[in-house]
Amino acid sequence: MTTARTATLLLFSVLFAAPGVHSGAQPAAAQSAPIAIVGGKLLTVSHGTIENGVLVMVDGKIAAVGEAGKVTVPSNATVVDAHGLTVYPGLIDPDSTLGLTEVAADEMSNDLSEPSDEIMPHMHVADAFHAETELIPVARLNGVTNAVVAPGTQDSVAGQDIFIQLTAGNRDQLILGRDVALAMNFGAEQRRRGGRGSSQFPSTRMGLITQLRQNLLDAQHYEAGKEAAKKKASEKVGDKDSGKGPDKPEERDLKLEALLPYLHGERPVVVGVYEGYDVETIMKVAAEFHLKVILNHVTHSQEVLDEIAAWKVPVIVGPIYDLPRANERFDAVYTLPAELARRGVKVAISSAEAGGPGGAHTVRNLPYAAGFAAANGLPYDDALKAITLNVAEMFGFGDKLGSLDVGKMANVVLANGDPLDVRTDVKQVYIQGVAQPMISRQTRLREEYSK
Amino acid sequence: MIPRNSTFQVAFLGLLAGAVFSSTANAQSAPPTDIVFKNATVMTASHGAIEHGSVWVHAGKIAAVGTTVDAPASATVMDASGKWLTPGIIDPHSHSALDNDVNEATSPVTPSMMMIDAFDNRDSALYFALAGGVTTELLLHGSANMIGGQAVVIKNKFGLSRDAMLFPNAPRSIKFASGENPKRVYGSRNQLPSTRMGNFEVMRQSFEDAKAYMAGWDAYNAKVEKKDATAVVPKKDLKLEALADVLRGKLYVQIHCYRADEFLTEEAIAKEYGYKIRAFHHALEMYKVAGQIAPTGTAIATFTDWWGFKDEAWDAIPWNAVMSMRKGVRVALKSDSNDHIRRLNQEAGKMVHYGGATEDEAIRMVTLNPAWIIGVDDRTGSIDVGKDADLVIWNMDPLSTYAHAEKVYIDGDLFFDRSMLGFGTPHFSGAMHGGDGFGSDDEDGD
Repeated sequence: MTTARTATLLLFSVLFAAPGVHSGAQPAAAQSAPIAIVGGKLLTVSHGTIENGVLVMVDGKIAAVGEAGKVTVPSNATVVDAHGLTVYPGLIDPDSTLGLTEVAADEMSNDLSEPSDEIMPHMHVADAFHAETELIPVARLNGVTNAVVAPGTQDSVAGQDIFIQLTAGNRDQLILGRDVALAMNFGAEQRRRGGRGSSQFPSTRMGLITQLRQNLLDAQHYEAGKEAAKKKASEKVGDKDSGKGPDKPEERDLKLEALLPYLHGERPVVVGVYEGYDVETIMKVAAEFHLKVILNHVTHSQEVLDEIAAWKVPVIVGPIYDLPRANERFDAVYTLPAELARRGVKVAISSAEAGGPGGAHTVRNLPYAAGFAAANGLPYDDALKAITLNVAEMFGFGDKLGSLDVGKMANVVLANGDPLDVRTDVKQVYIQGVAQPMISRQTRLREEYSK
Repeated sequence: MIPRNSTFQVAFLGLLAGAVFSSTANAQSAPPTDIVFKNATVMTASHGAIEHGSVWVHAGKIAAVGTTVDAPASATVMDASGKWLTPGIIDPHSHSALDNDVNEATSPVTPSMMMIDAFDNRDSALYFALAGGVTTELLLHGSANMIGGQAVVIKNKFGLSRDAMLFPNAPRSIKFASGENPKRVYGSRNQLPSTRMGNFEVMRQSFEDAKAYMAGWDAYNAKVEKKDATAVVPKKDLKLEALADVLRGKLYVQIHCYRADEFLTEEAIAKEYGYKIRAFHHALEMYKVAGQIAPTGTAIATFTDWWGFKDEAWDAIPWNAVMSMRKGVRVALKSDSNDHIRRLNQEAGKMVHYGGATEDEAIRMVTLNPAWIIGVDDRTGSIDVGKDADLVIWNMDPLSTYAHAEKVYIDGDLFFDRSMLGFGTPHFSGAMHGGDGFGSDDEDGD
């Protein structure tokens, strides 16, 4: 068994190797030896807090979790002394633009929205995702190990999200799931008034909804046509109806095809919407086409929270920092997660800042947004869940991530206090059992100018 | 720090009381003359924290602070057991309540623009900030122009008249800007400046013009002095007069500036023309040259962790504030945002995380240090005897994510009370204005 001192030295050797380490580009290494994190306060998310706990990571997965003395530590494990530290599952941002932007004002570094049309389901975030972005290590240093990456918000149907691991590695190593959800938006922003010329359809909410419904109907019609053609192709040529049999090569419409899994309810549709009346409008369309909805933002929807609860759809709240309307109480938006949770709604919280298209540079502030929701009435356990297990479950990773449970990926964070407090310092992040270098472009600048 | 002679205090403060009452003349009800906050953790911002501390407020001023105070028996007693008491939060860089009239982006030199002319005292952004404990704001011109307009300093007495919200006799500040914003705004119109070279040359020429203007007046005044009948009175020019006031040292110079090289250039130009820079705002690369800038006495008003939003913010690191402070630079945190202004206490909390600031250092970054940048540190920004009773009661340590401002006092008068129904604003009722945008520097309106 390696001693705690050795483990500490290992961490330091990683730190001293800093200048030569490229935070994004080296391939992700697999966990080589078992690691036991001993003596920490474990926030399991799924089954409460263990004050003096042991967590064992083997082959990239959590192999054991429990109270000290009740968990067998493998004899070949590296023991990490976590006394005085808090241990919790890696945080998951449900709405980011990581890897789609580098310097926000530098348009050439952005791949956010494809605004040539409002209906763009065939845009795959995976095709633009820049795994080597300098933003990922910055977010990781504050304990964020996973994120949903969604396109920008200019389109009614913006494209398909990916679910990523914030590890070091190449694109294929970072993407855990591609096309995990369809990103949709409805409201004032998608109208393009004055943008593409006011004479171009659609310039109103009426236009946007009509256009959306038509596209969804077209996709259903397309699928019916494909089914019919398939059936026809399977019939023998030479049957007495001479119209049967394959008559022309298959023509695929990638745009309409991209909508089909969502029309089948196979994967969720994340609908970005702010106003209560817009929520009601878009939910009618969603019901008509049996979409599996996750609502996003709902910033000014306080008057329809009971309806949202009745629909039994999960909700991503964010930015919690969006400004209330004039003549609303100062905490009208701060209290949304609490108000939704109180009504039984499954809530996730995103890192996005007011006015932004989803967090990128601000992903590292994800825990603080959840903490602020807790400050405004959301029970603490729900706040932690809103940036871990609830997100994993919403996007189909509930069996792999989001809590400290045996069999899940060993994405684990060690910090010197409450993860949701702004004063807390993250000490070490593990992804699939591998200690991540606690280095970013920013720490390198810090070291360079601290000499 | 605790005066023992209460008779003297009352006599001294009695002289101030008249002025205080006149400035709050349109308040709905006069605040109690004497208030005592008891048993709070008092973060003084100037001389550490006092456990189980008390603060006596008399006629809108802090009359005593310590473990005990000799307040009169008639004082209203506020039991603050388990609570924290801090000076009001001060934002040295806000563009709130201007209905987005932040930039007169029609010329790179507009020093005679007065932000007070755009100030909307019923903008909801003021209320949201008040609920976050903000009692004083420096409302600045934006950053489209190399030399922008003159700021207005307000006390966040939301609900009072425009005039009653002005910080009485606050020093005048003027906003300069450098870097990407001016060159983008004018460069995109194929005008000067479109580069940093152009930026700084526009400044130098402006000061040359101001010097010539001043010389013209000096010559005229000399002739008048000599009773020379040929003296012709020069034209009074608002723009050149404002620039002359910079050279005369009558305006605090607040410079929007990101890059290390630009701090050095700005300091060199200031030296060449003989004015002092009060603070660099944003100042995201100060950690690179803090040792060089510290001896100039120029402070910084910086973001905690904003970065990457444009090229000149690419080298921003969240340790900037604490690293610069350790090198001797006076550091304040600021919002530049109608969002962040509501939670500057949390921004201060981040300084414990990013660089290991003490709680005392952290709270000073959002109270006494921004007060110094504005030039009102002799009157607010710390809990010291004789200062304005601008105070916030928090439910817990204000550097925590979970902290709420429960009550906010300005000049000893209660302006926000979280426990009140509705807005929680004893002095405000009726309708607020929506304002516009997020109150950021970059809203240049072009």
